[in-house]
This record gives sequence, structure tokens and C-alpha cells, in this order.
Amino acid sequence: MGGREGERAGPEPNMRTRDGRKVLTARDLLGVPVINLVLVIVCLIAVWSVISATIENPDRYLPSPLAVAISSIDMIEKGVLPSYFGDTLIRLVIGSIIGLAVGIPFGLLLGINRTVSDIFYPIMNFFQSVSGIAIFPIIVIWWGNSDQTVLAVIVYTSFFPIAFSVLSGVREVPMQYLNAVRTMGASRYRIIRDVLIPGALPHIATGARLSIGFAWRAVIAGEMLAGREGLGWMIFTGQDADLTAQVILGMIMIGVTWIVLDHYLLRPFEADTIERWGLIQR
Amino acid sequence: MVAKLTVEGLTHRYPDEYTGESVHALDNINLEIQDGEFIAVVGPSGCGKSTLLNILAGLLPHREGVVKVDGTPVSGPGPDRGVVFQEHAILPWRTVARNIGHGLELQGMPKAQRRKRVTDFIEMVGLSGFEDKYPHELSGGMKQRCAVARTLCADPVVMLMDEPFAAVDAQTRITLQEELNRIAMATKKTILFITHAVDEAAFLADRCIVFSRRPGRIKAVVNIDIPREERVWATLVSDARFTTARDRILGLVREEVGEDEE
Repeated sequence: MGGREGERAGPEPNMRTRDGRKVLTARDLLGVPVINLVLVIVCLIAVWSVISATIENPDRYLPSPLAVAISSIDMIEKGVLPSYFGDTLIRLVIGSIIGLAVGIPFGLLLGINRTVSDIFYPIMNFFQSVSGIAIFPIIVIWWGNSDQTVLAVIVYTSFFPIAFSVLSGVREVPMQYLNAVRTMGASRYRIIRDVLIPGALPHIATGARLSIGFAWRAVIAGEMLAGREGLGWMIFTGQDADLTAQVILGMIMIGVTWIVLDHYLLRPFEADTIERWGLIQR
Repeated sequence: MVAKLTVEGLTHRYPDEYTGESVHALDNINLEIQDGEFIAVVGPSGCGKSTLLNILAGLLPHREGVVKVDGTPVSGPGPDRGVVFQEHAILPWRTVARNIGHGLELQGMPKAQRRKRVTDFIEMVGLSGFEDKYPHELSGGMKQRCAVARTLCADPVVMLMDEPFAAVDAQTRITLQEELNRIAMATKKTILFITHAVDEAAFLADRCIVFSRRPGRIKAVVNIDIPREERVWATLVSDARFTTARDRILGLVREEVGEDEE
């Protein structure tokens, strides 16, 4: 049997070649060409500074980038900013993990078993629409303005995107793959492990992203409403105490943290699985 | 001697999804395949060839008739009947090596033992050097080679192939046919091969079963008495044994198709 040389092999994504060797560029580290990113940020800061300088009473309505920077240094020195940031992050991580740990098996179960799905799907749908914030009051009634409450809201909010994603991911695995392993004598467990979970992974990845995104919003809102210290609380009290620089600082921190989380946690996960398998194009 | 594969009085009806009417897919199929035989099934579109394969594979339950492999009745899919599908169906999230070894993995063979056997089959189908590639990095022909290796590696009693080369370009198809022929010679596997292409059937099979149009009945069986060693396209095209058999099968199929084109 003659082996064939030169049969088509797909191009590796995200790698530039220089003289035929693969080179890791700045694009790979940041996800976009560095120069573009720097330019955009510089422009944004420039526009911001201009608006801030031209409006009346900038300290209240839109403090300049410099004012925000000074405020942040001040808060770091006092140890307040790291503390708030840490609190928020811990809530987010614990809440998300619980949400994913409950949501993934639930979604799997519904995806695999038609009977279970017929029973639970309408119930899930119902609760999903009672959004994270709408569920907040009842949880406060149960657990007061506590850390537990904020955590509960985060878990609740992050559960639905992942559960629904896993459900549809499992349902969309092509029948041919299932048939193939069945004809090799796979047990139910093996079908789930070898076919359904990897096959559903693109959906699971999207769902996880959505979940954590929702969890972020929930943690900020939860802190604001329950009065627990953290970034959300910082934004809220900043508005109350007319410390606009604090508000803006909080917003920036949230946005940057999310980008970092997404890029250094979720993207590599996707790259290592669904991109490597060629299931998505980048 | 027990035949490898026995089908007795197999009839299959199912309700059409859209109209609800009963579709009569197969009518009283009787067939016996002996150990080591290479059987091709040809027939016009919709004649029930794939239905037959799916029933033999255990992917489709049957109500009327008997289907036995090595004397044991078939009641669901299993490793005794390996299947090569038209759309290869090798798992995109496993490398070539892990796909080929999947059947053995499911049978509980330890890794060290598996490795040797998998390597043998990788070489047999000519995929050496591609062990750690993922399916999306392979061409269509290579994916099908991987699928064939996967099925063979698990050592099924019978290998069922559902138009495995239909989705591959003509050049590669010819090569794959010759490769399959060599594999059949080397492994002496019992093979049931479904195809639309009459020359493919004549090239590969010891016996070619011609189906009528729906409801599928066995219209005729054509024997092709050419030793495996002599089945090479270059010489076979002008071989009278081949051309006679091929023309005969073609004529039979045309009769069935012709009635539709009235």
C-alpha cells in the first residue's frame, strides 16, 4: 500500500511564517495587532481628555484620565482598591464555578434524556426569564444583605447560559458519530464521554463565556444592591458620594479584568480544544 | 459450517415521516454470506441497500425476518459488526492514532498492547506519519482510510461498508478500491459492500447482489470468478471475465432504473 506524500494538511491557525518557520507574533499574545490596540487606546484617552477639559465641572461629570489615575493610586496606597478587587474576584470565581458545576451536568442530562428534558425544559425557561436581578429580592428575604446572597445571585445567573448551551450542544452532535461508536460496542457512559461531551464542546465554550459574563454583571449588581464591599459597591458608593473618578475607575477595572479573564483563561481553553480539532475557524 | 452472515425472510416497512404512509423498504430478503467472502450490493437509488446495512449493523431494529451473525441473532449494534460509513464518521477530536485505536480502547485493551496493533493498521492503510494529525487536517481519501483502519483494527466478525468511497474524488476512489482489495486479500475479512457504482462492485466483489427497485428484493446474484491477486485496474479493464460480469450487472440495474424513466 503506497503511502501518499504531500496529501493536504490544513494550515496552522494564528501563526505567521517567516522564512517558512513559525513565528509567534504580538498578535498572538494580545489577539489583535499591538499597534492597532495601542492606537485605539491612545485615541480613546485623547478624546476623553478633550471632552473632560471642555465641559463644566469635570470633576463631577467626567474627570480627566489624569484625575482617575491619581484616584486609583490613592486607593491602591490605602489598600482599598486591592481589597475591593479581591473580594469581587473571589465572589465571581466561586459563583461561576458553582454555576458551571451545576449547569453542565444538568444540561447534559437534559440533552441525553428526552423524558427529563420534556419535564424540566419549560421550568428552566420560566426561571431564566426571571433574570438575575429580579430574583434578588426573594434571596434578600431569605438571606439578608449578605455575601451568601450575592453568591446565590451569581450562581443563579450563570447557571442558565451554560445549561442551555450544553443542552443544545449535545443535541447537535451528528448522529453519525454516535452510530460509529455504538457499532464499536460503546457503553452509555462511553458514548457520553467519547462523543457527546467533546462534540458539545464548542457550545459549552460559548456557554461558559456567556455564563461568566453574566456572573460578572451579577456580582457587580449584587454588591451594589446588597451593600457588600467590592468593585460594584465601589462604583455605587462613588456615585452616591459624588466621587465620579471612583466610578470611572471601577468601570475600567471591570472591563479590563474581563478582557484579561477572557483572553488568558477562556481563549486558551478554546484554542486547545475546539480550535485544535478544527471545529471552529479563527 | 455456519455461515458468517445469515438473513432469512427479512422484510421491512416504516411509516414515512411526512405522509404517514407505510414505506415498504425491503421484501423477503434471503442471503447467506460465507466466511471471507466479499459481497457487493448494488441497485437503483432508494432500493433499500442502506436500510439492509443499517439492519445488519443493528442500528435499525427489524421486526420481520431473521438476521444472524455467526449463528447469533442480531439485536443491536456491536463490535462483531464493524461499519464504515459514507461520511467516514471518524471523531474530529481524536488524532488518527486514537481514532484507529478507539475500538480496542472500548474493548478494554491496555495502551501498550494497543499501540503495536494500531501502528500496524496505520501502516496498512498508508497513513504512516499522520498518527498525530487531527481529521480536519486530512484529505477525504485519508479520512476514509482512517475509517477503514478503525473498523478493521477492532477485528469485527463482519465488515459492513455503506458506499464508503462515494464522497471521494474519482482518482482517489480508484486507489482506495485497489487498497481495499489488497486489505481483503491480507485479512480475509468477510465484507459486505454497498455501492452505486457498478464497476466498483464488479472490481471488488466475489459475488454481486443486484437489488430491484423499491420494495427491495434480490433480483439476481452475479458471480465474479477472478482471483484477488489479479484484481488490478490496469489489467482488469480489458479482462473479459470482468467486463462480462460488469456489463451483466449494469444491464440488470438499468432494467430496474429504466422502469422509473418510462
